[in-house]
Amino acid sequence: MAFAQSTRPADPAMADAGATTTAPRPPQPVKMVVSGGFGVGKTTAIASVSEIEPLTTEAAITEVAAGIDDVSMTPRKTTTTVAMDFGCLTLDPTLKLYIFGTPGQDRFGFMWKDVTAGALGALVVVDSRRLDDCFPAVDYFERDGTPFAIAVNAFDGVLSHSLPAVRSALDVAPEVPVVAFDARSGDSVRESLIVVLEHALTRARGF
Amino acid sequence: MSEAVGGGPETGAEPVSAVRPFLLTEGRVVGEEQALPMETQLVATPEALAQLAQPHLAFERRAIIETCRVPVSLAELAARLGLHLNVVRVLVGDLHTRRMLTVHVPRAAGSSDLDILRRVIDGLRAIHTSGGPGHG
Repeated sequence: MAFAQSTRPADPAMADAGATTTAPRPPQPVKMVVSGGFGVGKTTAIASVSEIEPLTTEAAITEVAAGIDDVSMTPRKTTTTVAMDFGCLTLDPTLKLYIFGTPGQDRFGFMWKDVTAGALGALVVVDSRRLDDCFPAVDYFERDGTPFAIAVNAFDGVLSHSLPAVRSALDVAPEVPVVAFDARSGDSVRESLIVVLEHALTRARGF
Repeated sequence: MSEAVGGGPETGAEPVSAVRPFLLTEGRVVGEEQALPMETQLVATPEALAQLAQPHLAFERRAIIETCRVPVSLAELAARLGLHLNVVRVLVGDLHTRRMLTVHVPRAAGSSDLDILRRVIDGLRAIHTSGGPGHG
């Protein structure tokens, strides 16, 4: 296999230090996830905070991610591709935040591990008129332990349900933050990401 | 890429050939355990940049090295080249083995890394208080 252990050194900070001394030193990458149902404003939120136009990467089919050795020999397998949007934000010359959106449909849950592995936290975007749409995301993060907050997107500046009503309907743990936000506002999205990170910080201190 | 803002993943999946993208990798794929995280930083080595002048480099490999003159994430590389993420993972692995790319794997601690959490919070707050980069 192409990726030997050498690509995963015990101390990643020292990765490949010996390969070259003159190549530019990359920033340390960190990752957050924006999740939620179809058409709920994930890509808008990413675009609002990203310093680049959000890019779309096409991920391969699930069987490939699962390590089947020869795709051509598995013609019966699903042959879908799935697009994921992401943006980034340089916080300082040594630290760069990547913000990935999870694919909108439940049936692409297999991609979520790729998106969420190692994430600092997740923002689950909710349209309070269609609460059910966010259940797969909430379930996923509750199960895998990624710290998350619920961000209720105020379409046209209006919340169709109060935050306590949303919290009650979603039945999330009391410590999970539930906030209102506007996916079109960079300030609003950044504030929501900070809520996620502070929640993660509290949890990390507590464990 | 306004298309990404307007539709992006919301537009759903389209059927594509499962085989064609992997012709580039000669049918090889990367198993889940070996898969580099999407935010992994890649940088072309001086040796690789020196080889750009030579004609023997295949198109995709040449494009990867060109793109990695400055540090680029795996996801960004795939998006810019229009290649599947897992195809890029294999090609990057090849170039790494040939010492043409340095691969900087992110720290694994994620949400339990107090220092990183604090630095990201501070970084986001700094943008907020300075009025932000002017996005909608």
